[in-house]
Amino acid sequence: MIRILFRYTILFSLTLLSLSALSFSLIYLFPAEPVTTLTGITPQNLIQHEALMNQYHLNNSVIVQFADYLSELFAGNWGVSLISGQPLSKEIMLALPATIELSACAMFIVVLVGIPLGCYSGLRAYSATDFTINSISVTAYSVPVFWLAVLFILTFSLQFGWLPLSGRINLLFDIPPKTGFLMIDILLADNVDKAAAFSDALLHLILPVLSIAFMSTASMIRITRRSIIDVLNKPFIIAARSKGLSSKQIFFRHVLRNALLPILPLMAMQITTLITNAMIVETLFSWPGIGNWLIQAIYQRDYSALRMGMLAVSTLVVMITIAIDLFNRLIDPSREKYESVTI
Amino acid sequence: MSRFSLYDDEAHPSPWQHTWRAFKSSHIALVGLAVLLLFVFFAFFAPLVAPYNPAYQNTEALLIPPSWAPNGSITHLFGTDALGRDLFSRIMYGCRVTFGTSLLVVIIAMLVGVTIGTVAGMLSGVRSSVVNHLLDALMAIPTLLIAIIIVGILGSGLVNSMWAITLALIPQFVHHTRSFVRGEMKKDYIQSSTLDGASNLQLFYHSILPNMIEMLVVQGTLALSIAVIDISALGFLNLGAQAPLPELGAILATGLDAGYLAPWNIAIPGVTIFLMVLSITIVGDGLRSALRKRVNR
Repeated sequence: MIRILFRYTILFSLTLLSLSALSFSLIYLFPAEPVTTLTGITPQNLIQHEALMNQYHLNNSVIVQFADYLSELFAGNWGVSLISGQPLSKEIMLALPATIELSACAMFIVVLVGIPLGCYSGLRAYSATDFTINSISVTAYSVPVFWLAVLFILTFSLQFGWLPLSGRINLLFDIPPKTGFLMIDILLADNVDKAAAFSDALLHLILPVLSIAFMSTASMIRITRRSIIDVLNKPFIIAARSKGLSSKQIFFRHVLRNALLPILPLMAMQITTLITNAMIVETLFSWPGIGNWLIQAIYQRDYSALRMGMLAVSTLVVMITIAIDLFNRLIDPSREKYESVTI
Repeated sequence: MSRFSLYDDEAHPSPWQHTWRAFKSSHIALVGLAVLLLFVFFAFFAPLVAPYNPAYQNTEALLIPPSWAPNGSITHLFGTDALGRDLFSRIMYGCRVTFGTSLLVVIIAMLVGVTIGTVAGMLSGVRSSVVNHLLDALMAIPTLLIAIIIVGILGSGLVNSMWAITLALIPQFVHHTRSFVRGEMKKDYIQSSTLDGASNLQLFYHSILPNMIEMLVVQGTLALSIAVIDISALGFLNLGAQAPLPELGAILATGLDAGYLAPWNIAIPGVTIFLMVLSITIVGDGLRSALRKRVNR
């Protein structure tokens, strides 16, 4: 147990180190002055240039530069945005929670819909219901997310006018961003009609969450179904049946637990897809999250923002992935590390 | 039917014939294959069959509805866009660009991924663990993020987005090849070849690769569908293929400008991408279950 924790701590810190090395190398890879990419400040004259170079040790060797870069990262001094001039740490801390909120809601729907449907069609494998669910999920899996979002906007926002088009909440509500998570901020805010603000925020969530969850739900159904079928063919199910257990007992005690184990690592892989989809959907719905922010940054060639945004997003994703992997390892120590099911 | 005597059988179907038979038994998979072949046909022969030049702007024929609409005309099957370009020809060329580049990307990613995966699978100890962990870290970075970084370094364009997607696909091939090679290396037939003095390269080429091809085909179709979606997504976000180049995602993005006036400019490119991915997925699924049936026989 302690060994596993130790291993994962090392793995995590090594991964973070390589990610920060990658983001450090971007300083020299981006087609801009290294000083500008690092600090976000365009030096106005040679004196300022020299001062910045000295301040950030850019005249020293690469090792010293990298060490200095790491210490600046830990100190929270991430530089400023090339375009807006705001500190990057502030901007990212505002944008990241919005994305997390969106993805968490989508993940919630994926698990809530995907796993029961997958179990149901897995238990009735090769029947008409299974066939229907399976073909719906194959179809849903193939819908490109940006097209789906556009269709949602065209039908539900423009044609019928049922749901809001963009943003997180109606501008009439003045919610001071304290944590960045809108739901928590509403609870913390005073002199706001909380119930109205809450329902308005929920209405804004529906369309983006549905468009993100669509594809991931489909793959979740397929993964769960396959896993259930694989477990049902195992000899211990026959043993349980011959013991005279009811099908309910067999399902909850033997099938479900064993089927969910190999799903977990695949869920970790799904998160990467989910975040990519979230980033695309954010731009379409003008959701003020990290994906929208990054894509605006690339349109404006805001190199310092790109450098930090890449580090922030990949750190977040790696953190979630490693946490799921660790959790999986802890609840199932017998598992070989790279074993996983197919779709 | 059990084969009573091996020598009395008239023909011994090869493994691939077995697979084809199992694949044929599913009608949906056959339909998927037919649609996929249509896209392949477009990808290769678009210049020969397209009725118009995809970049030709006919100012006399702006925003003509598709031919099945009341005021559409048969000269433009899918209608025209806001610049008077024939949508049908653009979609055909779009299949060529999107499908062709996806195919190329998957082949490159497969070659590189299988090489690295085999090396990683045959390695053991600290080196293997380092390779594995680095790959897991790479796999966790979202595709779009890799694409954004590459666009930042190299600038936007179809070729640069291809690099980004190749980079994003490689880890998956490596992952699957690695676990496959690891599993095979423990088996007896590899042991016997090793005892005969086969080098690692010979082992890979003569023993592991023939068994791996099926896994690669299935993974390849999966990767192909991901590549199509990603390339069109990047084109849609204006980070991949640039304006005059007919790429399905980019066509969809330009269609958005006149979307309210001419909804077919949004619907048709979207449906095309959807059908392309759907047919790839269906063929992949059919192949997978055919292979599963064959192995279980």
